[in-house]
Amino acid sequence: MSTTTRPAPVIRVTGVTKDYGSAVGLRGVDLTVNRGEVVVLLGLSGSGKSTLLRHLDGLERPSSGEVEVLGESVPRLRARQLRRLRGRVAMIFQQFELVPSLTVLENVLTGAVGQLRGPRLGLGSYPRSFRLRALAHLERVGLLARAYDRADRLSGGQQQRVAIARALMQDPEILLADEPVASLDPESSRQVMALIREIAADDGLTVVCSLHQVDLALGWGDRVVGLRSGEIVLDTPTAGLSKTKAMEIYGRVTTSTAELQLEFTGALL
Amino acid sequence: MTATLDRASASLAPGRPPASPIAPPRRRVSGARVAGWLAIAALLGFGVYSIGGLGLDASYLAHASAKLSQFFGQTSNTITFPSPADLAYLTGLTLGVVVLGTLVAALISVPIAYLAAANTAPAPWLRWLGRAIGVVTRAVPDVVLAFSVSLMFALGSTIPGVIAIGIHSIGMISKLFADAIEQIDEGPRTAIRAAGGSPAQQFWAGVFPQVLPAWIATVLHRFDINVRGSAILGYAGVGGLGYAMALAFHQFDYGRGFGIAIVIFALCVALEIVSSTVRRALLGIQPTGRGLGDRIVRAATKGRRAADAPAGASARPTAVASSAAPPADLTGLLRRPWTRDRVRNTAWVVAALFFVGLAIWWAQIDPNQIMWPQVAPVLSSFWPPSFGSAGAAAVFTALLETLQVAFAAALVSLVLALAIGSFAARNVAPNGWVRGVARVVLTALRGIPELIVALFLIVIVGLGAIPAFVALAIGGVGLLGKLIADSFEEVDAGPERALTAAGATRTQRYAAATLPQGAPALIGHALYLVDTNVRAATLLGAVGAGGIGYYLALSAPQLDLHGEVTTLVAILVVVVLALEGIAAWLRRVFG
Repeated sequence: MSTTTRPAPVIRVTGVTKDYGSAVGLRGVDLTVNRGEVVVLLGLSGSGKSTLLRHLDGLERPSSGEVEVLGESVPRLRARQLRRLRGRVAMIFQQFELVPSLTVLENVLTGAVGQLRGPRLGLGSYPRSFRLRALAHLERVGLLARAYDRADRLSGGQQQRVAIARALMQDPEILLADEPVASLDPESSRQVMALIREIAADDGLTVVCSLHQVDLALGWGDRVVGLRSGEIVLDTPTAGLSKTKAMEIYGRVTTSTAELQLEFTGALL
Repeated sequence: MTATLDRASASLAPGRPPASPIAPPRRRVSGARVAGWLAIAALLGFGVYSIGGLGLDASYLAHASAKLSQFFGQTSNTITFPSPADLAYLTGLTLGVVVLGTLVAALISVPIAYLAAANTAPAPWLRWLGRAIGVVTRAVPDVVLAFSVSLMFALGSTIPGVIAIGIHSIGMISKLFADAIEQIDEGPRTAIRAAGGSPAQQFWAGVFPQVLPAWIATVLHRFDINVRGSAILGYAGVGGLGYAMALAFHQFDYGRGFGIAIVIFALCVALEIVSSTVRRALLGIQPTGRGLGDRIVRAATKGRRAADAPAGASARPTAVASSAAPPADLTGLLRRPWTRDRVRNTAWVVAALFFVGLAIWWAQIDPNQIMWPQVAPVLSSFWPPSFGSAGAAAVFTALLETLQVAFAAALVSLVLALAIGSFAARNVAPNGWVRGVARVVLTALRGIPELIVALFLIVIVGLGAIPAFVALAIGGVGLLGKLIADSFEEVDAGPERALTAAGATRTQRYAAATLPQGAPALIGHALYLVDTNVRAATLLGAVGAGGIGYYLALSAPQLDLHGEVTTLVAILVVVVLALEGIAAWLRRVFG
């Protein structure tokens, strides 16, 4: 990627530890992501991928260490500044997290609350220019025809594409994706992953995406960061990374068994 | 249990022969459970004592039956109704006051519920404040409120009624609103927070759309309750059917009074049907039970549901991230198409707005009815609290009377509801026919407006606690029986299956599997009934059933006795909190 010539870190995590009292979420995590990079966080569930992502958006505060995103120290931001930063960082979730009873279009529009003052309810409460932009984003994810359907009438893959349109509504600089395809069938997974990749390339987004399927990760990102028990155990460019090497993230389990288990899990999900 | 097992296995460890013969494990009973059983025994004992203390004996029954037969002999021929025009006017007035009062309560309840819900409360102390407002408003009977505030308004104004309903209903509505907020899926809200949404934006875009169906159902439910209560509000001078009825009874025009009572009764039933239909249509709540009624509704809506099936299957997803098309194509899509859903929802909203507008017009709300010079004296008259002329001893005796009515009625309801409610549970009833009959009986009993029945009995048989007891005991069967049937149906079916497989009879299965599993819920529901009975008995006291409500009704209309109102309400708050505390503790012990 061209960013290697002029590295500009947009995310800099240093020595972050998150202690939940009963369990440790993260231990001494260091991570730097440059502008335009597409990074995959790989690890089993409970390895700390989601916790790390939530720290980047200020949804969690570290017990110790520093989280710097787009030049701002996330844990030190006051409420209003944190909201402004969150407006520049979009997030998509494993369970899509759309409001089920609202229309698809209004769900997309809720991505723009950071650019608007005051509470919004109903399509008419969003300015016309915003509604036009939301329609354009829906067209981009291929769901323009469903704009006025209730969100819960859509299939899982469609809902995740609506969630992507909602993320685009923020005009984000960074896109965080927390297991975006873990609840989807293989075909929808493929579509959603391709869509994220394509949008990242077109818009020059920085992407940090957590996954648990090695196969998806290898063919997709620029760089793989492996997590195990809240620690980073691997940080390497995807190019030249072998599957065996990536499998080591999962620890003591032998490669073949791990692979079987993972594929089995993937099929189930 | 595990401790005894461990001990047994330790002594059976290989290579170490048991030093002494294994003693049979002793049953260990925790202190909390003993206390719990003692508390239940005490509550039941108080219930039995209360029934005994009512003075319900043969001579009373003879007196009551004589009065009733005399009444029906005389009045059944002479029941008269107001002219249709008057009736329409009075009904409109009653509905106007109730609609407005319920609406005011609903609006005030939104911020209170926001404070009181665990997941939206900005700070713990605000959460307590929100809950405290709910408890206090629930403890003040609406009749007392209407009496008290009517001193601020011109004679005949409906505003006191609106205020009374508006304040009293906050308690229940804000609690159920807060419960709904606590039950939402947090995901969509988190997504809006992650997009930079402020707390207000998170609430209106992420929480409100999720809770709206439950909130509408709550408001409709409260509306039904308030229509029933409006009969009693008439005694406080709030215009409408209740007032016309109270006036007729005061003038010993029983025929007319009961004519109006019949109209109120019919109105309650009609509105309950309307509101449950609205709830079903508006909220898309599909009946899922196997009862006859559910089956009919399901069959009637089947065709429509098939038509509503999502068209998603045909819409072929095209995951093509093409760059945005020219906006000219999109402006045409800015207008939301008039789909069937949208037409239907809009029609509901328009109809609702129309009825609210009609209510406001009909209730004749006029700001000129406020007597401004009276406002400050009335508001300040509630402080300081005092025991007034009655004295503390009389007040606590009255409280005991009210509690006796509540407990006695709850105990009778419990016995009857346990019998009928068990047969209404799918896993207990021997066949669908028995279950259907039991459910119909419960539904019919629930439809009885107990306040109106109590009023009816008080007027005929005479003042006293027994009419209130009878009405509450019957009314409680419907509510408690349904709750019991539902919680029995929700018990884990595993133990029942295991017992069936072991050859247990139906009765054995009920005693060994269903009842023990349903017991914690049963205790909670019974105490909830006591709680609502205390409120209802207080309310009925105000119209002649004695007890603490009598003193409230006595002091509320007089400015110089308002200190007593404050004291009595404080006592009621303590009683209600104590009952809730006991219920929560018992749930913990036996849960």
